[in-house]
Amino acid sequence: MSSTSQQVIPPSLPEGESLDFLTLTPQLARKRRSQLRIIADRFVRNRIAVVGMVVLAIITLATIFAPFLTHASAVDPDPSIKLDLNNIFGAPSLLHPLGTDELGRDELARILYGGRVSLLVGISSMAVALLFGIGIGTFAGYYGGLLDNLLMRFTDVILAIPLYLLLFVLSASFSNGSVLNVVFLIAIFGWTYTARLVRGEFLALKEREFVLAARTLGATNMRLMLRHILPNAAGPIIVNATLLVGANIILESVLSFFGFGIQIPLASWGSMVATARDYFLEDPILVWAPGLCILIVVLSFNLMGDGLRDALDPYLTER
Amino acid sequence: MGRYIIRRLLQAIPLLILVSVVVFILIHLLPGGPERVLFNPRLSAAAREALKVRLGLDKPIWLQYVFWLKGAVTGDFGNSFADGQLVISDIGARVPATIELFGAALLFALIIAVPLGIISAVRQYGLADYSITILGYFGISMPIFFFALIMQEIFSVKLGWLPDFGRSSDADFATGFDYFLDYLLHLILPMIVLSLAFMAGWSRYMRSSMLEVIRQDYMRTARAKGLGPVRVLLRHGIRNALIPLLTIVALDFGGIAGGAAVTETIFAWPGLGRLFLDALSARDYPVLLAMLLMSAVVVVLFNLIADVLYGVLDPRIRFG
Repeated sequence: MSSTSQQVIPPSLPEGESLDFLTLTPQLARKRRSQLRIIADRFVRNRIAVVGMVVLAIITLATIFAPFLTHASAVDPDPSIKLDLNNIFGAPSLLHPLGTDELGRDELARILYGGRVSLLVGISSMAVALLFGIGIGTFAGYYGGLLDNLLMRFTDVILAIPLYLLLFVLSASFSNGSVLNVVFLIAIFGWTYTARLVRGEFLALKEREFVLAARTLGATNMRLMLRHILPNAAGPIIVNATLLVGANIILESVLSFFGFGIQIPLASWGSMVATARDYFLEDPILVWAPGLCILIVVLSFNLMGDGLRDALDPYLTER
Repeated sequence: MGRYIIRRLLQAIPLLILVSVVVFILIHLLPGGPERVLFNPRLSAAAREALKVRLGLDKPIWLQYVFWLKGAVTGDFGNSFADGQLVISDIGARVPATIELFGAALLFALIIAVPLGIISAVRQYGLADYSITILGYFGISMPIFFFALIMQEIFSVKLGWLPDFGRSSDADFATGFDYFLDYLLHLILPMIVLSLAFMAGWSRYMRSSMLEVIRQDYMRTARAKGLGPVRVLLRHGIRNALIPLLTIVALDFGGIAGGAAVTETIFAWPGLGRLFLDALSARDYPVLLAMLLMSAVVVVLFNLIADVLYGVLDPRIRFG
């Protein structure tokens, strides 16, 4: 990104020829954008992915500022657990925009506070799973040989058992229904795909010349792995991370739906659907609101992930 | 080819032994596993000891594992804690219902996904492609239990078109056809629900696989030889595009099993998925063990089938 290229004049320029092509035209300026800018520009051009991102931003902000959007007060810091048995199955009103549930709790507050749990579980289990996956994939791919074989057979064992069944058994027996528990349960089995992905990237990248060059300069194994190879695998990992959040939110909601996930009094979209199921006829909003929330959030993560996939793909030609 | 299959089968054995160890350890860590039965307060200490000996629970855990595995290989998983029946007959009783649901959902998903994928590929970046893509995103992102509940609510409770749960009515019908129709009507909703997520994924896959095939030289050759566009697509395109899809279908088996557990529970379908969840809430651990191991066997088997199928259908692939 040198800005001096305009001034470079070779000593012998044939008569009648100019170096005009070196001046900074808008087209050239476009080509000179930083890598991040190129990726951002490509992402923004994918309108559907941008919609996903905006929706996620709005929902995230709404859950963060939930106390201000609901009728939280010093007396009731968490309106999602405030019962009002005189006002059960309340119709939507100014005070309760989505009505009230079977115990008279404000449905909007339940949705927002439940959203906190769902997003928190989805994102933090992604982070933990990514940490496991990157660690295992890095060592397996970089060192290869026996270590690779052992780690990958271990991955095969986990992949051979249907994930849902495994999670049902484990959460029924080990989980006490706290957010931390659910996060770890989902993460413990969520890393397998990431590990395979990272391993594949490492297998391909470690043979490249730039790695050899760095090694010649005396870089240690740790430095080669973390500074030279891993950043080059960032694209697929970021895409995987985004899609993983959506998948984990679904997992959490299924677990909570069956009562193996987040436990009361904490609200979770999955358990809200499960409870409201019995009152579908009386108050359909109670099923639709949390259900649609899961759908919209997961959809947004998937749209954003696919947008990122296109934006981060260096081989994709600009359209 | 034969040697390849044998080699893969031999490779699967250590994997499955590892799976059995992991599963056995997991289940034995379950709080209230066998103790749930043993610590019934009405049991005397002597009876408790006798029961322990009968169930083999007095032995060290590795010996229990060896006994269990020895039985498992011959299909003997012991007796269910919940109903005292042989585990294998409990499971066997549920197999037909699950195969019915699986088969129907698989077929339905393919029947919808394949044409949608083809249309998407042929009209790439067209209106149809975008609509199918958007629908696909919804399908992939839909939580299956929510979809099941709203389908049940709309089509059976509100509209009353379809039965809301079960595999059949307990009614007496005049003719065999009426029985058949009754089963068919019960099947529709669970089938649609279970197939949705896979339908969406598979149509995406079919699209990219078809796009790949359309660019191949043999497609142009077939056109040059005078075959019409539709004919080329049907005779040369789809057949080749289907090969990678079939392997994905086989690989998705584990995921379908999870979805089946959810679907069967909501529609009270008397299949394996519900047996699993019932066994889990009853801490019926011989049943859980058997089902976890058997599902892993099926997953590994399907992975093998996927690889072999790929080679059989695509002559360009050689087995090393």
